[in-house]
Amino acid sequence: MNTIVKMNIWQFLLVYILLIIVLIIMRRRRINQIKLLFIASIRMTVQLVLAGLVLTYIFENPHPFFTVSYIIAMIGFAIYTVLSRNKGLNRQFKIVVGVSLAVTGLSVIIFFILAVVGVNIFNAQYTIPISGMIMGNAMTGVSLGLKTFNENIRTGRNKIEVLVNLGVTPDKILTPFVNTALETAILPTLNSMLGMGIISLPGMMTGQILSGTLPMTAILYQISIIIAISAVTCMAVFCSLYFGYKTLYNKKNQMHI
Amino acid sequence: MYLFELENVEYLDVIKYPNIKVNKGITTFICGDSGTGKSTLLNLLNTAKSPTKGTVFYLGRMIDEYDTIEHRKQVILVNQSVYLFDMTVRENFYEFYKYRDLDKPDDNTIHKYLKLCIADFNMDALCQNMSGGERQRIFLAICLSFMPKVILLDEPTSALDEKNAGNLISNVKKFCQENSMTLIIVSHSKQLAKQYADDCIELRNGADA
Repeated sequence: MNTIVKMNIWQFLLVYILLIIVLIIMRRRRINQIKLLFIASIRMTVQLVLAGLVLTYIFENPHPFFTVSYIIAMIGFAIYTVLSRNKGLNRQFKIVVGVSLAVTGLSVIIFFILAVVGVNIFNAQYTIPISGMIMGNAMTGVSLGLKTFNENIRTGRNKIEVLVNLGVTPDKILTPFVNTALETAILPTLNSMLGMGIISLPGMMTGQILSGTLPMTAILYQISIIIAISAVTCMAVFCSLYFGYKTLYNKKNQMHI
Repeated sequence: MYLFELENVEYLDVIKYPNIKVNKGITTFICGDSGTGKSTLLNLLNTAKSPTKGTVFYLGRMIDEYDTIEHRKQVILVNQSVYLFDMTVRENFYEFYKYRDLDKPDDNTIHKYLKLCIADFNMDALCQNMSGGERQRIFLAICLSFMPKVILLDEPTSALDEKNAGNLISNVKKFCQENSMTLIIVSHSKQLAKQYADDCIELRNGADA
């Protein structure tokens, strides 16, 4: 197989024409997110260019310190993003979410790199992109889970109050909310598995095939990463909500919602 | 011994309660304008809230010493805005009993309490299709069927007409007397209080009553 065709910079810039189409449609339809479109496109470009530069440097000067720092930064950013999308969590709940994301994310990353791929955990070429996929998905899952949980708690406030006043334990009252949110958070991942290979060739596999990897090797990677993503999403959301909901009431079984 | 006793109780610097005493086995009305802390008082009595200052006593002991869940099972608070599941009347009984870890009640029991609360509807009717007043009575029936020692009602007749309101309170009061249950009612209605209260606690804004 050939290796990938290197894009020349002018050809690359052509792709931004597609963004202009998005802009025109949004203008015409008066969708008030034009600022977001600009900010998102610019941030995406700048962040990826920076990532490219950093990765180039790290690959040329491999050192465990770089790999570890990169992963820590990734986890930190994932936690920050989740918390900034879900304002109004109490302090303890925030800590639970942070610890859950970090612990489940790291565990799955280490297991995946060491056991499934079988390379050194400090091997930046493997660890950094795979950690990115794992943390990114865990982040989306936890964000969605928390959003669902908070919304349902908000709309279910009356139900919760009534049940408290009937002498029902907070555990019994809140676990249905945890279960619903967990289900909502992991469903997209499970559903995406259904269409995989038919409707879409997933990103990682596409990337590998484009750069010349044999399709069968690419598939093995893809299958393992999808399973790892489902697992980390489920684990991270479960831990965040399961340990998180316990911060919503005190020893006197009084709710703080 | 008093059932409840409040000593220098304040809540969040907003509400200052007089030193209230509630007797066992009778019907006590809590009256007062909006914002005088009537609903909060009920929440203090069932430990859903704790006072910022002062002490609440239940049967002579500090209320903090009791297990809150057990306490709330004995002292049930019926919220003003009731909650019913989008199910039939019978299934609502089942669902609440499940939350309380109790066996399903039989149809006779359900019927008895519905009748008591003037909510003698078809048990297979869906609660989501009912009016506010009907839902309020069904919910009260469910709460009474738990047979607590004390029942706290927050504006139990807010969605009822005068005639139904009178009948309901009369029924509930009679039931409580027969079962030596203490009834504490928050109500705006001076009329109801005059007619059914054995004791009346008047809450005023800010000042000691």
